[in-house]
Amino acid sequence: MAILARSAGSLNSNPGAKRGGWPRPGAAHLVPGGLKWILPGFILSVGLIYYSIIYSGYLSFFDWPGGRQEMTAVGSANYLEAFADPVFWTAIRNVLVYFVVIFTVQVVGGIAFAAALHSKVYLANIYKIIIVVPVVVAPATMAPAHIEVWQTNGTFNTILRAIGLGAWTQGWIGQSTTSLLVIIMAGCWGAIGFGFILYFAAIGQIDPEIIEAARIDGAGNVRLLASIVLPGVRSVTFSLGILNFMTALKLFDGPWLLTQGGPAHSSEFLGTMIYAETAGSSRNLGYAAALSIILLVLAVGVSIAIQMRSREKSPTGARKRKAKVANDV
Amino acid sequence: MTHLGMGALRTRKAAALAAVAAASLALAACSGGGGSTDETTSATTGPSAAESGEVSWWGWTPDTPVAERYIAEFNKEYPDIKVTYRNFENVDFRNALAPALDSGEGPDVFDLSPAGGSPDTWGPYALDLAPFAEEVLGADWESKFGANYVRQLSDSEGRVVSLALGGMAAGFVWINQDIFDEAGAEVPTDYDSWVAACDKITAIGKKCFTMGAGGEDTFPTEMFHSVANSVDPAFFLKAAVGDARWDDPEGIATLEIFKMLKDDGIIADNVLDAGQYPLANEEFMKGEAAMVQMGFWYTQYSGAESCLSAMESAGVSNPECFVQLPAEFPDVAGNGNGSEYFGEVDYGLAINADSANIGPAKTFIQWMTMSEAGQQNVANALDLLPSLGGVAPNWDNITLVDQEVQQPAIEQLIDDSNATTQSRQWQTSEDTLDAIVLAIQQVFDPTINMSIEDIAAQLQESSVPSTVGVE
Repeated sequence: MAILARSAGSLNSNPGAKRGGWPRPGAAHLVPGGLKWILPGFILSVGLIYYSIIYSGYLSFFDWPGGRQEMTAVGSANYLEAFADPVFWTAIRNVLVYFVVIFTVQVVGGIAFAAALHSKVYLANIYKIIIVVPVVVAPATMAPAHIEVWQTNGTFNTILRAIGLGAWTQGWIGQSTTSLLVIIMAGCWGAIGFGFILYFAAIGQIDPEIIEAARIDGAGNVRLLASIVLPGVRSVTFSLGILNFMTALKLFDGPWLLTQGGPAHSSEFLGTMIYAETAGSSRNLGYAAALSIILLVLAVGVSIAIQMRSREKSPTGARKRKAKVANDV
Repeated sequence: MTHLGMGALRTRKAAALAAVAAASLALAACSGGGGSTDETTSATTGPSAAESGEVSWWGWTPDTPVAERYIAEFNKEYPDIKVTYRNFENVDFRNALAPALDSGEGPDVFDLSPAGGSPDTWGPYALDLAPFAEEVLGADWESKFGANYVRQLSDSEGRVVSLALGGMAAGFVWINQDIFDEAGAEVPTDYDSWVAACDKITAIGKKCFTMGAGGEDTFPTEMFHSVANSVDPAFFLKAAVGDARWDDPEGIATLEIFKMLKDDGIIADNVLDAGQYPLANEEFMKGEAAMVQMGFWYTQYSGAESCLSAMESAGVSNPECFVQLPAEFPDVAGNGNGSEYFGEVDYGLAINADSANIGPAKTFIQWMTMSEAGQQNVANALDLLPSLGGVAPNWDNITLVDQEVQQPAIEQLIDDSNATTQSRQWQTSEDTLDAIVLAIQQVFDPTINMSIEDIAAQLQESSVPSTVGVE
């Protein structure tokens, strides 16, 4: 609306101007100017990805063991099966718990380390390396290491015994109550580093004059963090929110390598459920497709919700500003 | 109307082109995709056996060194056929095979077992090998194989989707004789003697019985089958096909024995940390545990060479082989019997109907499954019971860790295994196998407070009776 108003205004004000070349702002508002550059990616994206999504949707209304076996139409039975399956709800719960914990750890840890390393710290570069290394370690490499740590005769239990907390030793991986904890621990390990990278850069973007001014006004470190730094990195926080939720929804390699969703389905995630349903021998690809569609709906829904939340909180309505410019012209 | 100009027109055209391209891509994919109920390859048997070419072979078994020995022997007769073997872990195999076969980039030859309805799952990708077998072995070819093997590897339509390479038996345990000697313990024959043996073994710092029941693998069902056999020899198979319920008193007794085994320390605390492979295999092969439940395929580790490579794979840097011997499953239920051995064909080799190398693939499986030379190889590998009748290991060519003690024990094991009448996984559906694993995990997990009756009831509900082999 605002954009149209602006372009109509500019056309009316220059009736005789010959605008050669391409694209003219007035005409190009319906078709983005760089279309020919994004064409290959666009074809791939629409052709392949959206086709896959639509086909999955189609498949979710069938029972199909895959390959050359028969496809049987079952209507919405797969969705009803999902909603009635307690394992599905366990997976949803696990996704939410994983998201909340990892997001919190990532934001708190990331900001804390980033703020700390922006002040004068001895050997700052060494700390940066230590914090960031977990981010680049592949899950397949870190999984055996985590198993070594968390298994019944593993490092963590040995440490507990050594410091006199032997009563707390248990089979962390092999218990339904703690299997999710192991996966979350493994996830936190890389999460802090990733948050640190983003926040370190974002804090670096904050205008140092504002910080100076705040210091002159008498703000201490904590006040500075809360009132200047945090609002300044808000966009990073919202991005991390969306990213983390998507990661939690799709999470597969960590849980699969550590516990395979067990024991007794206690550490199932949507990702592991879909994998088990796609690749096992008693598989039903229709059910897997239904789970995938549910995952998609959740992902899109939460993305929109987070986006809307972030837009509400921006300082003034960006659109209003543009409209003022058009009227001035 | 505003004058749009060449630039905008080009943009419009480009946009339209993009839309058309995307749509046609989508339509093209649409027309080719979807599950088809069209004809499978029942009519064709493919080209005849060829003497040269390349064959790729995928399987979860045998171990790579064993497979390479087979291939080396095969190449003595057929030097122009290049066979490459790729080994997978149990769970990984079926996860990798499905997409590979679907994509058309699958192996030429793959293992196909009778377990959990596999002939029906993988059968549609495989050639019907009955005509080929008849061509090679004659009209009475079925009787040349071990009892029921052909039927166990046929799908519900009667297509012979793989040819038996060898049989398997389970329902017994393997012991590390060296640990027993060191601990001064006796091989257990019933529950109480098992507890006594474990006391002595743990006293010298070794683990008594190693087992891995975590993850998704279906190994725990072997233990369940053995314990159930001790309770009532007929129960397991009856429940598998729906003639009995898993929450009948026998089923509940079985689960209660599991609980006792863990509570009394026979089964260790780390049982749920991981699956049988790698957990139990590594602990036994490292020489840390005195007993493990594995099937006939474990016989191969009595061999002097295989023992060393297995120990190295388990992470032992300077391995020294120990004497491993089979032992009967203890009478844990106190009804006077341990476990009857149960067995069936372990797996056969199937030919991918989409393969470009069917000719050499046929030669390969003919040599492996239907020739005496190939089957002698199988017998000597001590990994499988040869499927072709009348072939026994040639002991002159086999070096065991302790020939005197192990050879007679293995010969007895072979005889007993060939005499099994109970099937192993042929008549258990995949859903039932998964449900049994879940029940065992629920029994073992100290943080799950379900009663045995509830666990058994859930097992009954999640299981699916098999229709395989039911008249």
